[in-house]
Amino acid sequence: MSREVTGIGLGLRYDLATELLERRPAAVSWLEVHPENYVNRGGRYQEMLELGRRDWPVVTHGLSTCLGAVEPFDAEYLGNLRAFLSDLEVPWHSEHLCLGGVDDRFFHDLLPLPFTDEAAQIASQRLTEVRDAIDVPLALENVSYYAEQSADGLAEADFVVEVLERADAKLLLDVNNIYVNSRNFDFDPKAYIDKIPAERVVQIHVAGHFVREDGLRIDTHGEPVPDDVYALLDYTLRKIGPVPVLLERDNNVPPLDELLSEIDELWTIYRSATGADDAG
Amino acid sequence: MLADHAKAMHRVCFGAEPSDADLQLLGSRERWLVYRDLVRNRLFHVIGVALARTKKAIGEEAFGRAVDEWLSAGGPKTRYLRHLPSELAEFAIPVWRSTEAPWVADLAGYEITSWDVRHAPPDPTPAAEFAFDTKPVLGTAVKVLRLAYPVHNKPTPEAGYEQDPTTLCVYRGKNHLAIPRKLNPLAADLIDAWQRGDQTVAESVQRVAAAHDAEIGPAFIEKLSTLIADFIDRGILLGGHGSP
Repeated sequence: MSREVTGIGLGLRYDLATELLERRPAAVSWLEVHPENYVNRGGRYQEMLELGRRDWPVVTHGLSTCLGAVEPFDAEYLGNLRAFLSDLEVPWHSEHLCLGGVDDRFFHDLLPLPFTDEAAQIASQRLTEVRDAIDVPLALENVSYYAEQSADGLAEADFVVEVLERADAKLLLDVNNIYVNSRNFDFDPKAYIDKIPAERVVQIHVAGHFVREDGLRIDTHGEPVPDDVYALLDYTLRKIGPVPVLLERDNNVPPLDELLSEIDELWTIYRSATGADDAG
Repeated sequence: MLADHAKAMHRVCFGAEPSDADLQLLGSRERWLVYRDLVRNRLFHVIGVALARTKKAIGEEAFGRAVDEWLSAGGPKTRYLRHLPSELAEFAIPVWRSTEAPWVADLAGYEITSWDVRHAPPDPTPAAEFAFDTKPVLGTAVKVLRLAYPVHNKPTPEAGYEQDPTTLCVYRGKNHLAIPRKLNPLAADLIDAWQRGDQTVAESVQRVAAAHDAEIGPAFIEKLSTLIADFIDRGILLGGHGSP
């Protein structure tokens, strides 16, 4: 298998690792891991990562160094993260454009920043701090949000672009999050994609989401990718080009064959939209 | 200000009752209550997985009350999901000692020890093989647990556990799961001494044997050899430091 991160990848998660690592399907071109699950941890997680790395290139996606933090980051953790990323030889690392904690307490969830100039200023500063500390290219990821934003702030896409430009940063474009937000807040997801500077996008996420009885869509990563998200991915790849795409599945993890069906669908879209004929 | 916004989010997610003022500041009462549920449900789930038997023993309501009280004290200090159960246990076990059956604190302590052992850091690579004249190297996933009740015996009896002091070495087995191994008091003190790592094996054996009034004769040495071989086989003892 190629060591280059290209085509369709899958998140290495505990619930699917046994089957994935035994079967090693060729349709999966690369793996994504959350550093927080592996840093300074032995046992099954250490084994999973060692087995995964043997055949697949790995990229990392952080959960806890959220870029909207008001307080400076924990230098010790950033040092551990840097060592972890260096050992894995990742081509880039990503973190979320959101708030993950306050006053040294962690939400363990991704809470939305207000789309204000102040938040853009803080997030771009934090992004630069983290990038300098870990010494690998850092991409921010757009998140889903469920609470209405103040009318006097920026539109979400403008906020994301503002942070990207200020920090001269890369983007992990989460197509499912854009779709979820567009349905929850009634905007055109394609218009959002149109605003994204294509040259900054290094990776794409797709996932499924949960629709509550009241219609609110929650980004659970616990459902199959819906057709509308596939369609938005197709639109995105045609605009942006052959950027690696990751299928995220963190909850309600089905048998691997079900995920491989989704990966086949992603390959079909990827090839059709980009003209790529590699792997898969 | 973002700082005010962030503190309001913190109070809404972790406070005993979110205030109208905070919900108004954040802008959408209904949706911020969705966030409160999402955040709390995720934490409750992880903690409930780690302390499944404790939760079942005391009931979902009492367990949920402990989580609520812990969260209202400020919320998780750790960025690692795997460390959440230990934070909760540090807060809740002293409470459960006074509010629940006397064996519940032991059960929670045993479950947390098992969880911590499963997720402990990678083992060190010893510089040398095990030898009596060097300091020993133990696995990182090894904990000695002194219990008043034999809560490692499953399933939990309907009437609870009878008092029966038990000492265990809980270690991470080759299948990555936590395994309890019963120890006598002398063997437990030996592991304690080896984990402190300030003496050679020979020195620590002499000191611990003396503390237990045990004579180091042929029978003792035979039992010690069997014990050490078993610890090495289980991955509790990994080897030795290169020099004394």
